[in-house]
Amino acid sequence: MLELWSPATRHGLWRRLWLALAEAERELGVAIPEEAIRQMHANLDKIDFDAVAAYEKRFRHDVMAHVYAFGDVAPAAKPFIHLGATSAYVTDNADLILMRRGLDLLRGRVLEVLRSLTAFAEQWRDQPTLGYTHLQPAQLTTVGKRATLWMQDLALDIADIDYRRRTLPFRGVKGTTGTQASFLELFGGDHEKVRRLDQLVTERVSFPASLPVTGQTYTRKLDAFVLSVVAGIAASAAKFSGDIRMLQSFGEMEEPFESEQVGSSAMAYKRNPMRAERIASLARFVNSLEGNANATHAVQYFERTLDDSANRRLVIPEMFLATDAILLLMANISRGLEVHPAVIARRVAAELPFMATEELIVRAVRAGGDRQVAHEVIRKHSQATARALKDGAESNDLLERLSKDKSFGVKLKDLEGAIDPKRFVGRAPEQVDEFLRDVMTPLFAGETARPARPDELRV
Amino acid sequence: MLMQASALPLRPFRRGKVRDVYEVDAERLLLVATDRVSAFDVVMGETIPRKGAVLTQITAWWLRQLEDKVEHHMLSASTAEIVREVPQLRDHEQELEGRAMLCRRTTVFPVECVVRGYLSGSAWKEYREGGTLAGEALGKGLRESDRLDPPVFSPATKADEGHDENITVDRMRTLIGDSWAGELERLSREIYEAGRAIAARRGIIIADTKFEFGRARSTGGQGVEKVILVDEVLTPDSSRFWPADSYEPGHGQPSFDKQPLRDYLDAEKRAGRWDGNYPPPRLPKDVIEATSERYLDIFRRLTGHSLDPNGSH
Repeated sequence: MLELWSPATRHGLWRRLWLALAEAERELGVAIPEEAIRQMHANLDKIDFDAVAAYEKRFRHDVMAHVYAFGDVAPAAKPFIHLGATSAYVTDNADLILMRRGLDLLRGRVLEVLRSLTAFAEQWRDQPTLGYTHLQPAQLTTVGKRATLWMQDLALDIADIDYRRRTLPFRGVKGTTGTQASFLELFGGDHEKVRRLDQLVTERVSFPASLPVTGQTYTRKLDAFVLSVVAGIAASAAKFSGDIRMLQSFGEMEEPFESEQVGSSAMAYKRNPMRAERIASLARFVNSLEGNANATHAVQYFERTLDDSANRRLVIPEMFLATDAILLLMANISRGLEVHPAVIARRVAAELPFMATEELIVRAVRAGGDRQVAHEVIRKHSQATARALKDGAESNDLLERLSKDKSFGVKLKDLEGAIDPKRFVGRAPEQVDEFLRDVMTPLFAGETARPARPDELRV
Repeated sequence: MLMQASALPLRPFRRGKVRDVYEVDAERLLLVATDRVSAFDVVMGETIPRKGAVLTQITAWWLRQLEDKVEHHMLSASTAEIVREVPQLRDHEQELEGRAMLCRRTTVFPVECVVRGYLSGSAWKEYREGGTLAGEALGKGLRESDRLDPPVFSPATKADEGHDENITVDRMRTLIGDSWAGELERLSREIYEAGRAIAARRGIIIADTKFEFGRARSTGGQGVEKVILVDEVLTPDSSRFWPADSYEPGHGQPSFDKQPLRDYLDAEKRAGRWDGNYPPPRLPKDVIEATSERYLDIFRRLTGHSLDPNGSH
């Protein structure tokens, strides 16, 4: 991802766009010699950045500096480079190519995360665990089922990436205010050739279409569209990281911890969820930038203003780079998630008797009791048990209290049979199976499995 | 050596990466196949001599073979005849030679009818990952390039932008109605199986293919609407052609038409000289010639005679 946003890649793309323009113009009858095309082709990546810097110092214009530097190494092409074009031809079209490739890279990263989480969800599909609503213990779910919530968010992000990737248009060949006037001049008033030029260049770089109309630039709405997809991925990761941080606080799950990793410089015993915290940190940065793109679009007066430029140079690469880092972190965590079933079971046991009260009423009635009496007995004892727990009791003894209460009339052994956690997870394991089968398998289908090469974590 | 045909004095109807369609009048279209070639989703900078003519004449040959099975849209594939019919084209006879087809207009169905007789490409990938093809379970234990009997019908929508999207047969029924959908599937299977058998006897495996259909009333606008086979038919561009003599399931097969081109591009990729994006490497003369020869060879094998040096035959 770093390479994608490097000057070498960007300016290499500019040269490719100049080549595509010259090839298409030549094809449509402009007298550009074959040798010019050959020289351009041979020098696409041989960029002398010192020469560019020297030209830029003279001209105070980055695109013209690159035109001259390209012309120096491809002298036969010098008279034709950038013919009919305006700066936005290379700058804008290159940005669209970069964003599209950026989406491809992010998509690959998201798939990596999903592969790890698929294995995780499969492994823990029926491990009962406390569900939480309002951050308060609620009905049970399973560890694997919770993972599918994270995965579904990412699967939706992939669908969003795919739609944007497939439909992202090219700026194309439009001229200074988007009227294609210079090209109409170049082709002696032949409208069809101008349209064809736009189409030929668009086809060469494999875009599905160019925007039907533009000002000088492509509408900055496209940036907002793409960056909203990127921000969506960051938000999904942030939700995941929040869950991991809390689960680690509960002791139920932990992100990977290397054998010599130091948790705290002072508190040597500590294991902090620092990778998940880094995701949260970066995701907040990314999400804070999302609105920026729409704000830029909103102030593009008439055919363009230049106050988009310096801003976009930061916002677009930074959002992609930070989200790439987020996904590297997420892949690393997903691969090495540790689950502590004993802690999970202890925490479930502390709450389960309360959740089982409906079932306990049924058992009391089956033993010959009165439903209203059983309800009242449970109400009384569960309030008392909850009180005792808050006052320091070590475990939830609701069942013992009930078994000792003559008016309830059910033996302890029978009551305990009512609270096997696996009976309280509903369809969670089946939902995991169905989700993996119906959502993940089709998503992975047609994807070439990548070699399991964990990317080094450097953020 | 036609790169682009924008000089034709007809109204452009649709332009593709390698083929252009022009409006002749309210009843007729002119389809022109250029010599452009694409590989790995990128259009090459060079053209392949005779490729356009080969594609057009292969379609014409198939349509004549299939006349008893399906009505088609071809009025003429003879350039001399076309120029007599459309006199505006008389200055372009030479550049159009062999590559143009005059067709009747139809209302084209918005689905592509893909038939797969062998497990390859994206279908193989889908099967390998999930055991399905077009979302439906397929028998276990199939290898890459294995023959599928019966062939699998897997329609796709025609996306205006980017790649076509695979759809289920149910979705196709919703899109165009039950009876048309049934008819298109039946015809697609029948034409493919007939084509697969004919080609196999001539050393070519047609692994999969894509048909398009339209509908129109019989001549004069009277009578019921009938299904009409349109577009290119069983050509190396609309299908996957494999040499039968080297067929061996268990891995990918060489492409009958584009293998010299693909081998060259693969070598460029492996050598780190091409990243798969624009611009593709410049093609050496021998690669261009070898590819051109492949297309002419396919024409010879299928039809039993050479492509007339003057294009029409």
